[in-house]
Amino acid sequence: MGELNVIAIVMVVALTACTVGLAIFVRRFTRTTAGFYLAGRKVGIIANASAISGGYLSAASFLGVAAAVYASGLDGVWFAAGFAGGFIVVVLFIASALRRFGEYTVADFAYGRFGSDRIRLVTVVMVLATSLFYMAPQMYGAGTTWTVLVGAGILGLTPYQTGVVIASLIIMFYVMVGGMKGTTLNQIFQFWWLWTAMFLVVAFAFTAGDFNYPKGLAEAANEPHLDVKTLTVAELTAEDGALLKAAEGHMSQDAFAEVQAVVEAGDPEATASVLLPARNKLHTLRDAFFNEPGHRYSGLDQFSMVLALVLGTAGLPHILNRYYTNQSGSAARRSTFWVLVFIGTFYILAPIAGLAGKLIIDNAWRAGKAPANAGYVDGLLLNSDAVMPTLAKILGGEWLMGAVAAGAFAAMFSTTAGLLIAAASAVGHDVYEKYINPDADERRRVFVGKVSVLFFAVLALVIGLGIPAVGLDKAYPALIAMMVTWAFSLSAGAFVPMLLTGIWWKQTTERGAIAGMIVGGGGSVFFIAMNILEQLGHLGTEGRLFNLGSLTFPTLFTFPAALLTIIIVSKLDGQLPKNVDEIWMRIHGTASERHRRDLGLDKLGTMVKSSGK
Amino acid sequence: MQELTSAAETTVRTGSGAQMRHGDHIDTIEDVDAVFRAQRRLSFTYGAVFFAVTLVIPAGSAWWKTWHAVEIWGGFTLNYLVVSLLYYLFLWTFSYSYIKKADALDESLSHTADETAAKTAVSSAEGEWRG
Repeated sequence: MGELNVIAIVMVVALTACTVGLAIFVRRFTRTTAGFYLAGRKVGIIANASAISGGYLSAASFLGVAAAVYASGLDGVWFAAGFAGGFIVVVLFIASALRRFGEYTVADFAYGRFGSDRIRLVTVVMVLATSLFYMAPQMYGAGTTWTVLVGAGILGLTPYQTGVVIASLIIMFYVMVGGMKGTTLNQIFQFWWLWTAMFLVVAFAFTAGDFNYPKGLAEAANEPHLDVKTLTVAELTAEDGALLKAAEGHMSQDAFAEVQAVVEAGDPEATASVLLPARNKLHTLRDAFFNEPGHRYSGLDQFSMVLALVLGTAGLPHILNRYYTNQSGSAARRSTFWVLVFIGTFYILAPIAGLAGKLIIDNAWRAGKAPANAGYVDGLLLNSDAVMPTLAKILGGEWLMGAVAAGAFAAMFSTTAGLLIAAASAVGHDVYEKYINPDADERRRVFVGKVSVLFFAVLALVIGLGIPAVGLDKAYPALIAMMVTWAFSLSAGAFVPMLLTGIWWKQTTERGAIAGMIVGGGGSVFFIAMNILEQLGHLGTEGRLFNLGSLTFPTLFTFPAALLTIIIVSKLDGQLPKNVDEIWMRIHGTASERHRRDLGLDKLGTMVKSSGK
Repeated sequence: MQELTSAAETTVRTGSGAQMRHGDHIDTIEDVDAVFRAQRRLSFTYGAVFFAVTLVIPAGSAWWKTWHAVEIWGGFTLNYLVVSLLYYLFLWTFSYSYIKKADALDESLSHTADETAAKTAVSSAEGEWRG
């Protein structure tokens, strides 16, 4: 039985109750499909921006960015900058046109733009794959937070499994009863909760923790970076015990004595956690330092990660769905600006928390005051994804830990809810309503949406439980941020080239778009799978397969490949939809918005003063 | 003249191309193409600047030692300072500037479209009167 943080648990339960209460409160507004999927398309700019931010700031942002900075220094800071920068691509190329086109889902856009059932179905498959890639780290975040918070499981489950199961059940419930309207209100509420929680952690670090940003960074970068590695005795003793000797030089006597005890026990499959100097993958002749790039990513990966992050946002189905709830194309742009302000301030704070965690947790551990539920090797966390709740407990006791844990669950709830809605609408709206039962009444359609939510929530639960089983948590130092970036990579390969060409190149054909989605989406999944196999040690240490698997993010290749495929196939194909002019007018025309403005339906105005009519 | 869709919007096809009517407002394919071209010029100009600025950062990480390995303020290297703080200032000012320009463009183009529609209505009325 671990250390039970009663106050923190009460705070998490209170937030969860609020979340469920909100879902029930708005239940009466979700009797129609428009209400269920799009909140009736009546959401104001700031509210929508808060909701988009709530859906976007997932466990990857709340737990994962600080964890990535804690584990990888500057390479981890890029997650924050890239997550924010992605919205520039949204505002420049996607937001306004998508809202003007006025469909429910990305699949609807593909169908409306290219006019075939085939492309709608290909899009649905890609939406589901992206959603699952994105949901998995949320589940992992739930399990990790529960482990630090409660340290115990129920009904024979481990603490991690318990966290995953409980989070899944709650999310399932409130999405099913609340729909998008429920998630809109919840996402707004949850965004501001977790923004405040992040702010409090950083504020406490500066005050209670005596943290100084430039000095702290200098202190963290004073010595070469160390990695926590969990290795088998066979691995530690291979090549005359080279790794064991390297670890001895970087660990305290007490910590190394524990490792040696495991080795001397003689079981080659037994594992021990050691500290090893990190290799600089970018500048191979330099040591890896906290304030320099190269701890995690080589030259190709540096560029590919940036591209994955800034391009991937523009294709995330649960974010794009929200753009349909804006009142106009202009409002969609303004929403995006406010999203950038909201999440930008958040992402400035998250890396500070990661750096502060590196110093403050180490000091607390050396003083014997570090929380017991998190595992350590010489003051470094075994699981860097636990840095936020651990740091909060040290800085502000159970109250702050409760605020952080509640924020973590809020992040998981809001993002997973948005993803479940996107997945449910892909199946319920794009497949069921269009192909299986077009005559279904409103009640039946909402019912199918809810069953879809249930199905995908169970699937996410199973994936969440399976992550430690296959050893993914040991293969990547900051797994939550990494897994989310896989979803970004898939989105950047599958959707963004199709959306960009669909909106900005009239000659794009249906065959071109499908070919591009398959090349971009399929290529992304292939490279991600190869990288996972490589990290799990299934591809050896050299050779062609190993090289294929060594690319962490595939976007540098998959995005241009998909774009080029669309252009070449469209040129060869040349079969445009017969009503391409009408489609073009729906995407880029403004008569509808001028008409709405005349009627006073567009109260949101523009950022320049209207000259009036 | 063949009516293609109904409900909130009406799309009509004439000899010279399609039009879409919403209340008193009409989009012609010529107007929409003009909007599209102006919007494309704006978006892709800003896009080129955004990607140039964003990709310069990893390029500096890879090839410019003063950028990634020299501390300039406490432990801050230029690289760390830009990625952790200054990049956000760029994002905010950049997006604000773009949105202002895009809204102004929408505004001017919508007036142009309304004027074109008004002229079309006047000339067709004159045609009917003469006829």
